[in-house]
Amino acid sequence: MSRDDQPVVEELRESLVEQPADAGRSPGADVSVDVLPFPRFDRPLDASVREARLLTDSPWVRSVGQLTLSVTTEGWKFPAPPPEYTPPPRLPSEPAVGRHAVALPTLPDDPNAPPKARIRPKPTADTVLFKDRLLLLLQPPLDGLFDGRSLSVPFEPFPYQLEGIAFLMPRHAALLADEMGLGKTAQAILALRLLFHQGQIRQALLICPKPLMHNWGRELKMWAPDLPFETFEGDADQRRTTWLVSNCPLKLINYETLTRDADLAADPRVYFDAVVLDEAQRIKNRESKTAQTVCSIRRGRSWAISGTPIENSHEDLVNLFAFIDPSRIPPDCPPKHLPRYTADCILRRTKDLVQSDMPPKIYRDLEVDLTPAQRQAYSLAEEEGVIHLNELGETISVQHVFQLVMRLKQICNFDPLTGESAKLEQLVTDMEEVAASGRKAIVFSQWVEPLEILAKALEPFGPLQYHGRIPQGERTPILDRFKADADKHVLLMSYGTGSVGLNLQFTNYVFLFDRWWNPAIEDQAINRSHRIGQRHPVTVTRFTGLDTIEQRIATLLDAKRKVFLDLMAAADKPTTMGLTEDEIFGLFDLKARPKRGAA
Amino acid sequence: MSDRTASPPTLGFLTVQQEPAGWAGYFLVTNAWGRPLEFRMSSAVQPNRVQTALYGPTLLDYLHADVIGKALVEKTALKPDLIVTDTPPALALRSRVDVPVVALRPDAAVLPAETRTLTHPRSSLALLLPAAFATDEPEVLARLDAVDPSVDLAEPFARIREAVTEARKLGVSGRVA
Repeated sequence: MSRDDQPVVEELRESLVEQPADAGRSPGADVSVDVLPFPRFDRPLDASVREARLLTDSPWVRSVGQLTLSVTTEGWKFPAPPPEYTPPPRLPSEPAVGRHAVALPTLPDDPNAPPKARIRPKPTADTVLFKDRLLLLLQPPLDGLFDGRSLSVPFEPFPYQLEGIAFLMPRHAALLADEMGLGKTAQAILALRLLFHQGQIRQALLICPKPLMHNWGRELKMWAPDLPFETFEGDADQRRTTWLVSNCPLKLINYETLTRDADLAADPRVYFDAVVLDEAQRIKNRESKTAQTVCSIRRGRSWAISGTPIENSHEDLVNLFAFIDPSRIPPDCPPKHLPRYTADCILRRTKDLVQSDMPPKIYRDLEVDLTPAQRQAYSLAEEEGVIHLNELGETISVQHVFQLVMRLKQICNFDPLTGESAKLEQLVTDMEEVAASGRKAIVFSQWVEPLEILAKALEPFGPLQYHGRIPQGERTPILDRFKADADKHVLLMSYGTGSVGLNLQFTNYVFLFDRWWNPAIEDQAINRSHRIGQRHPVTVTRFTGLDTIEQRIATLLDAKRKVFLDLMAAADKPTTMGLTEDEIFGLFDLKARPKRGAA
Repeated sequence: MSDRTASPPTLGFLTVQQEPAGWAGYFLVTNAWGRPLEFRMSSAVQPNRVQTALYGPTLLDYLHADVIGKALVEKTALKPDLIVTDTPPALALRSRVDVPVVALRPDAAVLPAETRTLTHPRSSLALLLPAAFATDEPEVLARLDAVDPSVDLAEPFARIREAVTEARKLGVSGRVA
């Protein structure tokens, strides 16, 4: 026992001695008690924490862990549409917008109606970032946007046009090569409009041929009335302001002005989120100033629009891709491998493919027998011409042959002495029928002179002329008058001026008074009439002089026409579309041939 | 609650799906035209047996509303004016956030308890509103009136499903942890 415990023991002892008798003993008993130290108290009492923990320890109790659940999140924000493109939604009672009323379905849809296919832009193989892919996948379906309730449009685009828009929207490099008349312009405008609305682009440039500027302006007002646009006009200073200062989201320029402003176009301060080339075959010559200027523009998206991306050879397509995506086609790529590199960027549909309900296009090949005067003049010219060519010997060139061909073709149109024309006689007969039925026709020629002669001969049918000699400012009013005036039954057009971009679907007859060298140009001309909106069959009359150079050329061109279709369909085919040098010389029975390397 | 019914509303589309790794939520915020403004996804959560036993019949509501829905809505930068869900258990989210919540009425014959049904031209399916928040109805209808007529409230869920498929394909959904 320790010394510290001693007082406690003494105290215990005393308390026991002083215990009263009734506290545990029998009365009267004399018991002495020895007090012994109690070993249990040798140590101070110490609370054992171990015993207290016993109930919370394994195996008596097992932890259930956290009872609440939690998650982590990851998110992506997308570009907000600029406020100017988000007008307040219309009330459901508001009538359909646009120039033409659209019969609106009421929600919920008719349960018996077949489900509508939803058309959405899909991420391309080039869309690498998940956020970019998400942005495309989360877009609302296009087929709901243009039914006349959300966006103001003149009429609801056709499903194939929605697919065209869905093709363009996700692509930074694209060639929309639909056949003429399928509404490429509307598709491009609507794709741009939606990208503007989504905030994905803020500045875009449209480049088109000069004669189509007015047409583009009209189409923009129709398909994107909420999208302000500006054209490059005025003197150099004004255009400089448009290039460098203007904040207008969409700018419209023609190839000629663009080439003139080449320095400004290449200015590092100039940048467009999207550049769209209409009639992109204009840059098929890579070395031309136009092509180089177009390619020098700094841009995010490069879209090309052309119904005839291949006019002569596969090189046309390669050169187009110098703008669309310069790195896509490897150098010296064989033509047969082109589709492998370009297929993802090209969308081409034909009328047959997309518009089974479109009125048919009926070809009528009229092989007219020349009048006696024409035949005499023709035979003489050909005979003398061939003699002359043969006399040229090794100095003969393609140009010499062309001169003879042109001369003979002109005789096929009109006899140079008497003005007789077998074609004109037939045309007048046909026009009487056209006018009697209250319909309208277009007559195409390679030259202006025949059109002026035709204008006099067709006076009873209210002819109007549209060609290179008509001043630019007068052309659109002529088209408007042709459309509006019921007495104007015929429009006389040159291939060069009237073959692209014009919408003349209110006409039902096309006459090719003479044939163009390239079938693609002829197709473009025909498709001024046979395009979206046409409700009646279109009759195409192709005049050729019987047993003449025209017939020989037509046979060759018909064979060539297939090449274009084959190459666009990814087949391995010959690479030239126009007439080759050998074919041109083969038009006549010539002994003379140019000296190789010298021609 | 602020009066935001005058301007075109922002819509939130919430879906919760059971996946192999557990329950995961996806939240798409669009403008009144249905165009995407923000998208957020949650990690998957799998309740264990104890949690399942403890939460009992309230587990689904708890998962959809408290765990997933609330986290997604709170983490999203843009605050929607109306939340639409295709999973009725997420209606319980209404008591956790200050935004009206409606659910697309499921095909099932038996309707979820304590809900009211309403219809609107913007939805091809009937809508369910939590009965406890029946006073939201005028506000919900007013906001739906201001939504573009081309929008169908059931449609964005198809987009979300495509986005989810894409996220799985690219392994993005697995990295949310």
